[in-house]
Amino acid sequence: MAEPGQGSLIAMIVDQDSATGLLLTGVGHSDLRKRTNFLIVDDKTTQSRIEEAFREFTTREDVAVLLINQVIAATIRHLMDAYNKPVPAILEIPSKDAPYDPSQDSVLQRVRFMFGEA
Amino acid sequence: MSFGEDTSEMCLFNVKDGFLEAVVRGYKLGLLSTADYNNLCQCETLEDIKLYLTGTDYGPYLANEASPMHTTTLVDCCTRKLVADWKYMRENAGEPMGRFLDYCTYGHMIDNVVLIVTGTLHERDVQELLDKCNPLGMFDAIASLAVAQNMRDLYRLVLVDTPLAPYFSENLTSEDLDEMNIEVMRNTLYKAYLDDFSSFVHGVGGTTGAVMGEMLSFEADRRALNITLNSIGTELTRDDRRKLYANFGLLYPHGQAELAVAEDFDQIRSVMEKCPPYQAIFSRLGLGESQMLDKILYEEEVRQLINTYEQQFHYGVFYAYMRLREQEIRNVMWIAECVAQDQKNRVQDGIVFTF
Amino acid sequence: MSTQNRYTCTPTVSVLGVMKARLGGATKGHSLLKKKADALNMRFRQILKKIVDTKEEMGRVMKASFFTLTQAKYACLGDFKHTVFDSVDQASIRVRASTDNVAGVKLPKFESLKEGQGSKLGLIGLGSGGKQIQECRKSFMKAVDLLVELASLQTAFLTLDEAIKTTNRRVNALEHVVKPRLENTIAYIKGELDELEREEFFRLKKVQSNKKKHQLAAEALEKARLAALAAEKEQEEQDKPGPSPILAAIKKVANDFY
Repeated sequence: MAEPGQGSLIAMIVDQDSATGLLLTGVGHSDLRKRTNFLIVDDKTTQSRIEEAFREFTTREDVAVLLINQVIAATIRHLMDAYNKPVPAILEIPSKDAPYDPSQDSVLQRVRFMFGEA
Repeated sequence: MSFGEDTSEMCLFNVKDGFLEAVVRGYKLGLLSTADYNNLCQCETLEDIKLYLTGTDYGPYLANEASPMHTTTLVDCCTRKLVADWKYMRENAGEPMGRFLDYCTYGHMIDNVVLIVTGTLHERDVQELLDKCNPLGMFDAIASLAVAQNMRDLYRLVLVDTPLAPYFSENLTSEDLDEMNIEVMRNTLYKAYLDDFSSFVHGVGGTTGAVMGEMLSFEADRRALNITLNSIGTELTRDDRRKLYANFGLLYPHGQAELAVAEDFDQIRSVMEKCPPYQAIFSRLGLGESQMLDKILYEEEVRQLINTYEQQFHYGVFYAYMRLREQEIRNVMWIAECVAQDQKNRVQDGIVFTF
Repeated sequence: MSTQNRYTCTPTVSVLGVMKARLGGATKGHSLLKKKADALNMRFRQILKKIVDTKEEMGRVMKASFFTLTQAKYACLGDFKHTVFDSVDQASIRVRASTDNVAGVKLPKFESLKEGQGSKLGLIGLGSGGKQIQECRKSFMKAVDLLVELASLQTAFLTLDEAIKTTNRRVNALEHVVKPRLENTIAYIKGELDELEREEFFRLKKVQSNKKKHQLAAEALEKARLAALAAEKEQEEQDKPGPSPILAAIKKVANDFY
């Protein structure tokens, strides 16, 4: 629950290393009911758990930005493509082992398309 | 060290501990050499690293790992090797060596306990927590941690049976358990552990006492240095800082008193330079350059660890083996990370060559 | 154009006036929307450029950040990530959403908001590697700032994209559907009105010619009557014959006409 005027949260669906770095900065949040704004994905995390987290974060009112590792995004591409709301903004970020690949990014693909068109 | 002590060591050591000393010296030969590291640095992918490591002592532990490799799996496999070696030695150890070996692992045990304490406070799943624990620091009662609902229970039901219990009871009150910053708690425990370990090795005496005394005082000083360095600019008060320093080491007590009031890196440096062995270390460090300090300290540690193998009939070699392996795992982690993150130009910055 | 592509209406002068007003409105709206689309497009181009740059920058910054993480792991004797995971409490970095106005389109804009220090993490890695962890933290802070900026740009991009599409749709609708249809309607009404006018004119002419005929007939009748009267008078004056020849003459004239 975002208290009014306090700003919204940055949610995350990321692997352990990204989570370590990002949580260090203090973006992590856990409310009274121990509901967190991040999902740490490891080998044991199921696809449906990721999808569920994605749906939860994209519908929560207190989330303004959703960060998601590109490799994880690739596994739920169908949800990513179907998503078309401007807020929360979904950002694909690189993970430690997989450097950023602009050609995979769904937004950047559109950008490139526009440029090609222009 | 009297002549009599030495001879009795020579006569009696091998009766009980000779076999394991031979084993650990054998294990030591399995550590990666400079040539190995040079080859590893040439690797282009994690698969290459894996392939190369398969040819070393790590072979059996890596053989069944499926591709694609991750640095974490690589590090896990290497850790498994150390754990297996350690278990083997522990199972074959008599007294007091068994206790010595246990003492070596208390550091990890403290980390595990702290991990579980924080985990319990956050109502994490116990099995999940156990998976995260360092296998070297496991103890029998660890699985029963689930029963504890709050810190007092945790202490009363679980921790009291562990070797760490005295560290808790002597240094922390039950209020501390609830309120203390977890890092302060960890370091308080670690301080108690180092003090205890030090008095234990002096009790064992002989070459072990001498060699380990040196190692532990280096460890104590390094911790003091690190704590000072890391607490600059935090809410940790000077008194609290002072309390986290171990009660021995080359800096004890005057150097520590000065460290306790140090406010920046240059002050720390001037304190450390008053101590001859550390003067040499700091002289290798450029002015105002604190980045490389960790590596230089690791290098110094490795140098000391290797020196322990120059002498025979003492337990220091076991401690040294564990530390060297850990350093090696760190090296492997560094190389693998550099390769995985495409930062190969930095690869030399993190490797501490052992042999 | 065919008769289909127009509004159904009664072709009257007042409707023509309404249609002309509508056409004027549509033309004005069209030019305004065109201007709006241009403004949006301009902003859009700027954002596109920035997005590509920032995304690439983000890739670099994240890579550097991950490396500081590796350095921290290296310097730290234990594994500190679980400590990090377990010390999550209230978020100290949040984002504030505000809106930016471009040609009437509200663009969401994010700003990162820092509230105090993560006090719990201040002492992390006290025994070993703390300094490196703080370095890592700083590095990731920078990355988060950049990510928030990127989120802003990306949302603006999506919103603008949508806005431009609707605006363009409207421009096109006005240009290719509404305006031609109005023009057709006006042309149709004008045509109908002209037609009506022509019919009216013809009818008037017809009435006029009818009137002329009637007039002629009446004149002829009058003439005949006058002639008969004159003849009667003459007759009376001469020998006063019976009135039957006069009647016969009148009848004859009337028969001629009708």
